[in-house]
Amino acid sequence: MVGFFDTLNQGERIESPEFAVSWESIRAFCEASLDYNPLHLQDDYMQGNFGKTNFGGIIMHGMNNFALITRMLTDWAYAVNGVHRRLETRWLQPVKPGDIIRAYGTVTAKQMTAKSRWAIIEVEVRNQHGETVATGEALVEFPRGVPS
Amino acid sequence: MEQEFETDFWKHAQSRKIWDEIIPGEPRKTIPYTLTLEAIQRYCRAVCDLHPLYFDEEYARRTPYGGLIAPPSIHVILMFACTPVDDWMRTPGTINAGQSWSYNTPARPGDIITLQARALDKFIKKERLFAIHDNVFFNQHGQVICSGRGWTIRPM
Repeated sequence: MVGFFDTLNQGERIESPEFAVSWESIRAFCEASLDYNPLHLQDDYMQGNFGKTNFGGIIMHGMNNFALITRMLTDWAYAVNGVHRRLETRWLQPVKPGDIIRAYGTVTAKQMTAKSRWAIIEVEVRNQHGETVATGEALVEFPRGVPS
Repeated sequence: MEQEFETDFWKHAQSRKIWDEIIPGEPRKTIPYTLTLEAIQRYCRAVCDLHPLYFDEEYARRTPYGGLIAPPSIHVILMFACTPVDDWMRTPGTINAGQSWSYNTPARPGDIITLQARALDKFIKKERLFAIHDNVFFNQHGQVICSGRGWTIRPM
């Protein structure tokens, strides 16, 4: 029987819904994640310099990007009995209140191993200006013998 | 009932290790944490991830997971829930430059979660002070939930 993994092609794309970033969404993430770093809460503190960097105001948690990418991957994988196994990310630009972000993924490779099957997915998050704010790579497993 | 959590990260700032004092390889102090359904769902709502595996018991029971689970990125909460107020990850101004995580078994409501953590490395690059943290979360059965590391830029 031909399953989802068999028909999956390199270059196939997935994407998340949009996520609108606001003071309220950042505050909600503080409360939900327990990460109350003043980077995400105190605008006066964020007027200062961080070495050579000046953010000019509060920034969204990098892990909010991570969560958006995770949602994209799990929405895709759960539907076909895939298992999200790994996500590696790097933050390139700060995300601020007023930004709208969306995660994107592209299947770059499929790999069979002795006991399982895997898809490698290049991921990124872009803002409303089309700028890439985060990049990374994910691994989704499609276990043998599990219908998909 | 949820455990109390200190939300003022300035409060214990003086008791935390600065970059110079972080010893790569030295275990960080950690504390067990009971993951509640309330905490899972608060996190899911904050990131607009309302998958029924996290909210609908009846739906979740019919899936291969056999019941409600937490999303893989639940380690975002666990990082702070399983560490004490003087942990250097709470230092105000700590910038997260990136993270990588591997997932084994999902966390579930009611799990008693423990953490083994340490700084893995520290270095200076482009005049910035970096510390890499290395973490493994376990459930009450000794199963690995997830493992991961993060690159942080420490305040000067």
